[in-house]
Amino acid sequence: MVDEASSIPLVAIREVSRHYTRGADDVLALQSLSLDIARGRFVAFMGPSGSGKSTLLNLISGIDRPDHGELMVAGELLNDLSEDELAEWRARHIGLIFQFFNLIPVLAARDNVALPLLLTDLDKRERRRRAETALRVVGLANRPNHYPRTLSGGEQQRVAIARAIVTDPDLIIADEPTGDLDARSAEDILNLLRKLKTEFGKTIVMVTHDPRALRFVDQAFHLDKGVLLEGEAADRASAAIQLAAGGGSVRDAGA
Amino acid sequence: MTYLGLVRANLGRNKLRALLTGGAIALAVALVCLLMTMPAGLDTLLDNVASNTRISVHNKAGIVYSMPMSFTRRVRQVDGVVAAMAQTWYGGAFEEDGKVTFPNFAVEGDQVAAVYPDYPIDPQQLADFQRYRDGAIVGRQVMRKYGWKIGQRVTLRSTVWPVDLDFRIVGEVANERAPFFWFNRQYLDQALQAKGGAGLGIAGMIWVRAADPAKVNAIMRTIDEMSRNSDAETASETEKSFFSNFFGSLQGLVTIILIVTGLVVVCIVVIAANTASMTVRERSGEIAILKAIGFGRRTIFAMLLAEVVALATVAGGAGVGISLAITELMQAFAGWSDSLGPLGNFVITPPVIAKGLALSLFVGVVAGIVPAWGAARRSVVEALHEVF
Repeated sequence: MVDEASSIPLVAIREVSRHYTRGADDVLALQSLSLDIARGRFVAFMGPSGSGKSTLLNLISGIDRPDHGELMVAGELLNDLSEDELAEWRARHIGLIFQFFNLIPVLAARDNVALPLLLTDLDKRERRRRAETALRVVGLANRPNHYPRTLSGGEQQRVAIARAIVTDPDLIIADEPTGDLDARSAEDILNLLRKLKTEFGKTIVMVTHDPRALRFVDQAFHLDKGVLLEGEAADRASAAIQLAAGGGSVRDAGA
Repeated sequence: MTYLGLVRANLGRNKLRALLTGGAIALAVALVCLLMTMPAGLDTLLDNVASNTRISVHNKAGIVYSMPMSFTRRVRQVDGVVAAMAQTWYGGAFEEDGKVTFPNFAVEGDQVAAVYPDYPIDPQQLADFQRYRDGAIVGRQVMRKYGWKIGQRVTLRSTVWPVDLDFRIVGEVANERAPFFWFNRQYLDQALQAKGGAGLGIAGMIWVRAADPAKVNAIMRTIDEMSRNSDAETASETEKSFFSNFFGSLQGLVTIILIVTGLVVVCIVVIAANTASMTVRERSGEIAILKAIGFGRRTIFAMLLAEVVALATVAGGAGVGISLAITELMQAFAGWSDSLGPLGNFVITPPVIAKGLALSLFVGVVAGIVPAWGAARRSVVEALHEVF
């Protein structure tokens, strides 16, 4: 079950900075950010466009590397890993969910889900079994042979979630998972993510603009211009989001 | 889900494009396979008409120049020579045509059997050939062309000698591709003398048969040495070499065709590479996602390369199949008509099949390696930024 009391955080970020060069501009996407995320937590990063949310997500998921600082995720210091080592690490420890689902259109739902299992030593039968289990968890047990084009947006995102959990990763990373969905589907997806946390003890890190998300997460972090907001600033940002969402409860807004 | 299944699914994503690209590769491989049969086919063709113990002796200045008839007798004395037959161009036109439509020669009838033991000529017909002064032995192709029968009389008007001769056909060379007409040289000799001339004191060509293929080179050297510093120095060559010179221009054509084919292959590689690049570009989002979920550079490279190689190999296999079907058809046609007979010599052999498949593999690897490597080496964050 969930080990929230564990003293070792699943994600430990220490003084991490990241800058990009866009044309002639040097953009500081993250500035000396420090943060811990405990195992079994469902947290959201919120903030306006360009605040550094996606950059932080890329760093936590091992897609990108920081310029400065230390980044320890699932017991691995990611700073010094090569691109190939990071790929291998992601396959073992990370499940990724994207805004636009990004399923392979020529593969049926079950095959899309089984895709990350190709990188394991499991045999074909076991891969199939696990893919079907993952589909059952997301409520699509009856649609294993459906191709993405025959599924609704919400269903496609469920398949993407099944793909993210099929390897039983330590950490699920969701980048705007409700961004391309209608209100009803978005609510379903947030419920599903919550279920993964409560029933399966998964640690979920989500970037979102969706104020509804505040009702589902354990904690919401607010970023602005590459800086993590704290204290009053964080409270103000949280209140503004709650206002936009029409009320609701944030379990632990602003940490 | 397997890697093979993933490759297959990706190949089927744009069926028309895969079909067109595969079709182009298949046709190119078929063309190359067919052309690869040409050198061996020509060689077989030459082997069919040429003996490895027969030597052609002709004037060093060219085959239109002659040699003294007496030289034939000297050639017969050379060690290792079984027989030698003088042959002189008559240049006879069949009266119904008025022009020379088949090669016709005055030959030594008593030497034919010894020089051409491999020619299918009935012994009785050979005996008749020597018995009748005006006898002629004709190749089956000429016989068929004019509908001649044994025993029939035909007249040829010479375009070289001042005599027209009337011949009695006494035999046939039962060889589908034999296009010639032989008659006794004494007949021409006597006809020329009757006209007040000096008779036929020359030989246009001397065909020599050696006892042993191993002695052929020595015999040729000896004969050419014998004629050195004479008025008619000779140039000896094997029968295969002699015919090969006739096919020389054809072999040049084959070389040109092979060069053009090489260029076609290069074009196909470029087309296939372009298709592969387009496919990779169109799927850059998916490739970025695969990388993000943990597919490494080597895996991505291998998967993309495998797609192009699989397409090229399957298409190449189809191309080899097409070439096999075409050569089967050619062999069927070869049996229908004498003039199509040589088509039967062009055969797709196992080495040609292996080369065709190797070429397909080569096309696949060369076409796929650059786009696959380009997609694999891009960093995942760069790919994701570009796509999302």
